[in-house]
Amino acid sequence: MILIDARELEHPIPLEMTVDAFKNLKGSEVIHFINRREPIPLFEILTKNGGFYLSRQNSEGVWHIHITRDPNLDLEAIHV
Amino acid sequence: MFEGLSLDQAPPLSVVMRFFLTVPVFGLFLSLLMIFAPHDVLTLSHPLSLASIHLLFLGIISMGMLGALFQMQSVLGGKPIPQPQGSSLIIHTLFTLGTLSLVCAFAFGISELFIVAGVFLGSAIVYFAQILLPLLFGSITHDTLKGMRLAVIALLLTATLGIVMATSYASGVFGEYHALIRTTHYSLGLIGWIAMLIVHVAFQVVEMFYVTTPYSAWCKHNVGRILVGVLALKVLWLFLNLPFPWVTDMIVISLLLGFVVTTMKRLQMRKRRVSDVSIWFWRGGIALLGIALMSYTGYVLSDYASLETVSLIAFALFALSIILGMMGKIVPFLVWFHLSSSGFMDTPIMSNIIPQKRSKILFWLFSTTVIFALLAPFYTNILILCGLTSTAMFALLLFNLIAAKRLYHHTLRHGTKFSFEN
Repeated sequence: MILIDARELEHPIPLEMTVDAFKNLKGSEVIHFINRREPIPLFEILTKNGGFYLSRQNSEGVWHIHITRDPNLDLEAIHV
Repeated sequence: MFEGLSLDQAPPLSVVMRFFLTVPVFGLFLSLLMIFAPHDVLTLSHPLSLASIHLLFLGIISMGMLGALFQMQSVLGGKPIPQPQGSSLIIHTLFTLGTLSLVCAFAFGISELFIVAGVFLGSAIVYFAQILLPLLFGSITHDTLKGMRLAVIALLLTATLGIVMATSYASGVFGEYHALIRTTHYSLGLIGWIAMLIVHVAFQVVEMFYVTTPYSAWCKHNVGRILVGVLALKVLWLFLNLPFPWVTDMIVISLLLGFVVTTMKRLQMRKRRVSDVSIWFWRGGIALLGIALMSYTGYVLSDYASLETVSLIAFALFALSIILGMMGKIVPFLVWFHLSSSGFMDTPIMSNIIPQKRSKILFWLFSTTVIFALLAPFYTNILILCGLTSTAMFALLLFNLIAAKRLYHHTLRHGTKFSFEN
């Protein structure tokens, strides 16, 4: 699991870090991206380039996004 | 995963760029006027002064704001403007021709051009409003989108009154309400369109870009309503010819001063202090708004006309500063976003699309222009220096935008796409 906690980072660093990590993602690796906002533009980049994601907001308003490029991986199962 | 939002979250680069690229071109025209006719530009109601004011507020500020709205509606609203390429081409063409016609009508005294300008500008703004406003009604809960809605309605009303005045200029017949219509026209334009939009955009981007504490929910929810109420009161006050018409201005000033203080405080106390030129433009812009408000208060108290001119110049520079800061964020984002979503491995990072060094030079040229512009109402010839520095500033802005566009097309043609073979 590659953890990117971007809650304290200024825009656009979180997006760039996550896309960089996604470009180098291998096999069934998963990125766990934590952000203050739902990174909607990121989702287009992921889906257009063979990625899959699960995006959820917790009760404190923080967004947790799990990203993979393995179509067989069940992101629901690893979501915490 | 993704509930009801469009995945097309950013308009094509050309949609926004055609507006942004026109900004420095009109900026260069304005600079020429300042260099070659400084006294006329600073003489109240002189045709070249009116030409300059409309170059500034239509050709530079509104042009930049219309381009930014195409971007913001997509990202914030989640409902992109339909057929953005065709719509933006029509709106941009009509708006550019309308601005040119109006400026030439004032500058060369060609009365027929006032009608041409009214038709082009009116068509551009009505067309823009009829595609944007339906997206901003309905189940909108975001305060920034509600502010955008009010701003676009104010723009429509400003344009309507502008067209009424254009017919007066074309015919040479000025009715008894001409002065009242003019005051309403610029009040709606300055406060209802420009300040309304920038304040509501600040609520979103200051917190998001610079990791500041959020603005109070009450402020975000109510500031637009209060501005609408005060503007309506001001129009009523003017048309009923009630005494002390500056009372409503003072309410607007108090409200906007609150915005200045609270925004400065947030920018000062932000959690991380990453160096970013866009924040310099935001700080500079907010400080200029403070100067505009204080100068106008000074003018109301003293009736010293130069202070009113300083106030108008500072207000325009406030808007320009925010637009330059936003361009510095939007253009690199769009270039990076479209290249990344097209799968390019060697997409440049955003801070390299418009290099920091050139952004800093742009900021210093802007700052020098500001100093000269604010001194010009007291020493008219300084406007020539202002014109020279603004020429350099707008030329660099044009260069930065063209270079970013070229980098985008170069990567599209020669870039390497990333592959996922293991």
